[in-house]
Amino acid sequence: MTTSTVKSPPERPAPVRVAPPADGPSRGERTMSVFSQGFLALWAILVVLPLLWALLTAFKSDQEIFTSPWGLPSEWRFDNFARAWTEGNIGTYFINSLIVVVSATVLVMLLGAMTAYVIARYTFPGRDVLYYAFVAGMAFPIFLALVPLFFVVRNLGLIGTYPGLILVYVAYALPFTVFFLVSFFRTLPVSLIEAALLDGCSHAGVFFRIMLPLARPGIISVGIFNFLGLWNQFILPLVLMPDKNKYVLSQGLAVLAANQGYRSDWSALFAGLVIAILPVLVVYVAFQRKIQEGLAFGGFK
Amino acid sequence: MTAGLDRRQFLQRLAAAGLLAVPATAALAACATSGGSSAPAGGAAGAVSATNPLGVAADAPLDVVIFNGGYGEGYAKAHEAMYSQVFPQAKVSHTATTQISQEMQPRFVGGNPPDVLDDSGAQKIEYANLVNEGKLADLTPLLDAPSVDDPNVKVRDTLLPGTIEQGTFGGKFYGVNYVYETYAIWYSKPLFAKNGWTPPTTWDEMIALSEKIKAAGVSPFAYGGTNAADYVLDLNLGAAIKQGGIDIVKNIDNLKPNAWKQAPIVQATQGIEDMVKKGYFFPGSEGLKHTEAQTAWVQGKAAFYVSGSWIENEMKTISPPDFEMTVLPVPTLGAGSAMPASALRTQPAEFFVVPKDAKNVNGGMEYLRIMLGKKGAAAFAQETASVPVVKGGTDAVAQKTPALASLSSALTTAGDNVFNWQFRTWYAPFSQALKTEMGNLLAGRSTADGFLTAMQAVSDKVAADSSVTKYTR
Amino acid sequence: MRHGKYPFIVSFLAIPLLLYVVFVVSPYAQAFYISLTDWKGLSNTQNFVGLANYGELLSDGAFWRAMSHNLVMLIVVPLFVITLALLFASATAISRVRGSRVYQVLYFFPHVLPVVIAGILFAFFYNPQAGLLNAFLRVVGLEWLTRAWLGDTAVALPAVMVVMIWGAVGFYYVLFSAAMKSVPRDVYEAATLDGAGKLRTLVSITIPMIWESVQVSSVYLGIAALDGFTLLQSMLPDGGPDRSTEVVSQYLYRTAFTDGRFGYASAIGVALCLITLVLAIFVMRFARREQVEYA
Repeated sequence: MTTSTVKSPPERPAPVRVAPPADGPSRGERTMSVFSQGFLALWAILVVLPLLWALLTAFKSDQEIFTSPWGLPSEWRFDNFARAWTEGNIGTYFINSLIVVVSATVLVMLLGAMTAYVIARYTFPGRDVLYYAFVAGMAFPIFLALVPLFFVVRNLGLIGTYPGLILVYVAYALPFTVFFLVSFFRTLPVSLIEAALLDGCSHAGVFFRIMLPLARPGIISVGIFNFLGLWNQFILPLVLMPDKNKYVLSQGLAVLAANQGYRSDWSALFAGLVIAILPVLVVYVAFQRKIQEGLAFGGFK
Repeated sequence: MTAGLDRRQFLQRLAAAGLLAVPATAALAACATSGGSSAPAGGAAGAVSATNPLGVAADAPLDVVIFNGGYGEGYAKAHEAMYSQVFPQAKVSHTATTQISQEMQPRFVGGNPPDVLDDSGAQKIEYANLVNEGKLADLTPLLDAPSVDDPNVKVRDTLLPGTIEQGTFGGKFYGVNYVYETYAIWYSKPLFAKNGWTPPTTWDEMIALSEKIKAAGVSPFAYGGTNAADYVLDLNLGAAIKQGGIDIVKNIDNLKPNAWKQAPIVQATQGIEDMVKKGYFFPGSEGLKHTEAQTAWVQGKAAFYVSGSWIENEMKTISPPDFEMTVLPVPTLGAGSAMPASALRTQPAEFFVVPKDAKNVNGGMEYLRIMLGKKGAAAFAQETASVPVVKGGTDAVAQKTPALASLSSALTTAGDNVFNWQFRTWYAPFSQALKTEMGNLLAGRSTADGFLTAMQAVSDKVAADSSVTKYTR
Repeated sequence: MRHGKYPFIVSFLAIPLLLYVVFVVSPYAQAFYISLTDWKGLSNTQNFVGLANYGELLSDGAFWRAMSHNLVMLIVVPLFVITLALLFASATAISRVRGSRVYQVLYFFPHVLPVVIAGILFAFFYNPQAGLLNAFLRVVGLEWLTRAWLGDTAVALPAVMVVMIWGAVGFYYVLFSAAMKSVPRDVYEAATLDGAGKLRTLVSITIPMIWESVQVSSVYLGIAALDGFTLLQSMLPDGGPDRSTEVVSQYLYRTAFTDGRFGYASAIGVALCLITLVLAIFVMRFARREQVEYA
């Protein structure tokens, strides 16, 4: 992959505002603008509507959910949430998820960045094989590996343990992380590395003191995506976490959903769902500013 | 957790994990043997006595896994309490899950399956697979043991007709299908009374009534097209069997050529095709899940629903309190039917097995023996409003729900006129084919002939496949 | 840069590689071996059958039909997702239309929702009688467009693809937004001064600048399209009307867990993996462009 260097000073890109052409926007431009405004608004509605509906449904009774799915609840049943919390165990599962997913995300970002950096910026025999080995890891259907994986984990004595699940999460999130971060590290300037090494910095030092900070936006983006991906991962815990008290949230929800095929407690399912995603949404909205700032600085190309 | 392990131990563990030996035979063998028990096959055993005819070891733990589906897990806890009363020293562990395959399969492979397994639900391990791989203990000793209530009566004589047959594969008895599920048509008695509709007993009566129902603005039938189209099979195949006799279905079970083209089946399936053309099925059914179709039905948008007897339980929280779900046997095709109109398809389900490699096989069998006692049966019936396979099992239930009450009386009326089919249990390919092909028939995408030809093709393929173990009846 | 390179590389790769080999490579390798046997999944005995499973695969109609569904998804889903994501990102990240801030927050929401739940939610919407989609169509006078969405062979797969697209756009929207923002603004200003309209800017300037993001997104979306298990299984577990929506991963699952043919299922999995790999390599190698680096 060839690279050419554009010699312009790295500046902090302010929010890009494109000034309109000197003689004002053309009619074509204006219709496009109205059209795109409408489309943007439409998509916003399409995105929010299902979630709002789920929120509303969480307050209804089972009967109401099916007999008047689109109306407002006749009474606001907060007991659905209580039931999801206690019988559905959503509270416990939430904490389990927090422990497992936060640890796994931190770990995989560190290890993934280390791996991606080495693959992106160093040449050594077998590098390409290694890269494609990680890519391949994303391609294989996960539940074929489930039975052998179960035995590997069991023989290491890690079935039903948090460390076991965390390590497996890290291993399965590595391909995605490496894949995205390699393409990102490849855009960071070589000249900086060379300069730092000439200055006497060690390879590891270059990584931790220069590259990692520069890579912050990419790390943040991939970190968020990893967090969410692992948050919603349920196939692995289904096999590796048989203890009902240690279920993670996604697993608990998946089981709750599967139960609807046998015994309907839809209201608890929706309530459980709201409890599950509301905090994530709140955190995202609260930190959204920081995330956007982090992403804007330097940027992920 | 690896902290403190020196490097040599760590490498040993890796080797044990089969890493350093990619050929999986070594890995799987290591996996299997490292999990196996050193106890003799079947595990612990105790002294046989009058109160302990199966020779259960008094202190051997009991590991019970229950499918947490339509019947819940409450009844199992009652049964476990009964077991603990007899064997207070035994530690009983209780697991309830819907993911039977995912959680149990590794245990079977690893040689540490539970002592009692309720293998049911969408994620169950196919029975035929378990049997063919020799994973289940032969439960004949259970059948020959004295029943809990009367030592002079063997367990096998306390069971409702069809139970033993349903759990028998190749002459051996491998599992107790605990729930006497009945498959029929269900309707709301008050709705019919209000409209002056008489439940039909023959196909022609059913068609005539359907026309009346449709005129009243209600759909005669509803079904769940996306995941339960095969429920409606009871209408055509069931009617055909009632008309032509048990041999009709034996031919199908035995994979005979042209079994699916027997005259009564053709006639009944043609009847369904006509019903589709006349618009007797709730519009949009082909796009509904079974829960959605059932919801439309309990809302009064459809009159009849074909299902197994779990339907009342499943719709408990959604159906209106005055629905009064009532059972109606599938109609016959006309005069001169081999079975009376009251005949029912009863198919014991909820397959309780004792894995052969379990550590406490005798304890597992004893647990089943307790379940099959009057007290165990009553506990189940009370908790789930369903019929266990024990004679008189529902007698002790004081307050019967509408469906259970009508079902009990229908079963009494039917008496020995009950039938079942085995091809779905014996041969896995039929399930998928039935869902697809019934779906096509009901959505109007194929004809009766198309359906029957497709099913015959599946049957012929299985018959010709030498790697599939064949059963006969 | 030579000295000290190899010890550094080894030290950085040691732990991640170890984890990867133990938990990912080793199980897959075992699964590959299983594909060469007739293992039924329950006992620890199996017979080595060599490539017999693969031979069967070549003539297995059900497999190829499922694969054709995946291929349809492979073409449609990435196309729509990336196009929509690019359009939305360019509108809110660069042009900064009104409400961009709000959009940036809202558009990500579907990604937070577990796929299983999205499947359930949309199943409600697609309900022919009681669902929102048909109700909406009736209200606006488009009754002739109403269908039994998930039960109609013509629209079942598109209906599912819509859900997939709906859920995926948010992720790539955020990705592309970030990428676009990192392009120095003088590039955009130069384009505007030259008289380029918004669309022209997008196509000729922005996309080439963030091409690597688009590339990796295509690969990742392609992999998702070749999978689709969770969504399909929660909406149409039995393969859809006349098996018109069954995907390879569902067929694999059924073969393994319902039919009890783990050996054959593993072969299906290996075949799927190979196809996915070919796709990934193809996109990464042949769709390359000169990568611009900002020094």
